[in-house]
Amino acid sequence: MPHLHELYRTAVRLLGDGAKAEDAVQETYLQAWKSFARFAPGTNCRAWLFKILVNTIHHHRRNWFNLRRARESEEILEHTAGCAAPIPERIAQREILLALDRLPADYRAAVLLADVEEFSYKEIAGMLDVPIGTVMSRLSRGRKLLREQLGALARSYGIGAAGKEGG
Amino acid sequence: MNPGDRCGKMRTQLDSYLNREVPAETSREVARHVEICPGCAGELATRVRVRAQLQAAVRSPAVPAGLEARVRRAVAGQAARPRTGLWAVAAAAAVILCVVLVSLLRTQMNPEEAILRKTSGRLVAVLNVGLRDHLRCAVFRKYSKQPAAAGKMAAELGPEFAGLAPLVEAKLPDGFRIIQGHHCAARGRQYTHLIVAGGAGGRKIVSVILTRKQSGESLGGGIYQAGVDRFQVVGFESHDYLVYVISDLDAQGNIQLAANLAPALREFLASDPR
Repeated sequence: MPHLHELYRTAVRLLGDGAKAEDAVQETYLQAWKSFARFAPGTNCRAWLFKILVNTIHHHRRNWFNLRRARESEEILEHTAGCAAPIPERIAQREILLALDRLPADYRAAVLLADVEEFSYKEIAGMLDVPIGTVMSRLSRGRKLLREQLGALARSYGIGAAGKEGG
Repeated sequence: MNPGDRCGKMRTQLDSYLNREVPAETSREVARHVEICPGCAGELATRVRVRAQLQAAVRSPAVPAGLEARVRRAVAGQAARPRTGLWAVAAAAAVILCVVLVSLLRTQMNPEEAILRKTSGRLVAVLNVGLRDHLRCAVFRKYSKQPAAAGKMAAELGPEFAGLAPLVEAKLPDGFRIIQGHHCAARGRQYTHLIVAGGAGGRKIVSVILTRKQSGESLGGGIYQAGVDRFQVVGFESHDYLVYVISDLDAQGNIQLAANLAPALREFLASDPR
């Protein structure tokens, strides 16, 4: 089945739960089947499936949880993040996933779609239904937070306490 | 442009350069710069390495056995399903019956449980840990709405948490003040609970609640807000504790209050190993 693995791993990271990810993937294919008539031949089928997945997850978040991440939380997270430290050479997969999962959901989605699934910024803007400038801003802040969290790991390992980095 | 500014400018472009999302001229400029700047070349190498590690980590979980078959069955079932007629009537009847049954069950629950049952899901279960204490201790309990004396509150909170009340008091909006501070317990867990009153006629009630995380409970690095009935629940975690700000303020008021309190609460929990 095309793109099953990519959709599943993205859903796991966005929902933080394997069982919910399975449900979201199943619903994505069902929605794709129902709306196949709207798929324009020649366009990117993978991006189309991911857009349906993102919509499905957005819909489920609203209806299952009546839950939203507060904008302020992003600012607090950034405000309280420590100064940059060198990122350790060896990072366990568990640790990098923990750092990723700690990102605000909007930033995490942008980082996953751009840096793991390697969609173009324009494709991501279409999937998330936001302007391309918003995608770039979420990516910039999400990557920065991820680096800071991995740098904090280095501090916990006792590596370079006060390294500086730009960008 | 001095070299430091130039490096700073280049580093803001490195990730988009890796994604091939910069104009051709910028791409050439970055490539030329990293050839002559060991610092930026090292930074680029770090970002390439972190990205590869991120990709490997995210791609590592295998698709669960049976998911593909399950999806195929679901799609095949959808394809074979009549969209109108008797099936739709039967489904609608089943939904109506479920709603009626749930309504009947709810009428037999106590009011706390009725509110808590309206939410579901793992994250909301963690938010309910705080909401349960707010409902039990600040909403459905009779207590004096007059502010307790500072000495009495400090004694009830004990030496470890006596410093919490003034920290919180300092961050409250005008017209709000702490009326109670105590430790309480429900369902086998301990809570540290400040009850704040204020707002319209002093009738708005806010709880600031701290409780130690238990196995499997996590809110990650974010702050979450959920609304149920008239209550707004904000939850986040800090230093092995779950922290809640729960009130009958509107959603914006509650999150604003939580955002004001969060840095002080994080600092308090970080300051002293409890």
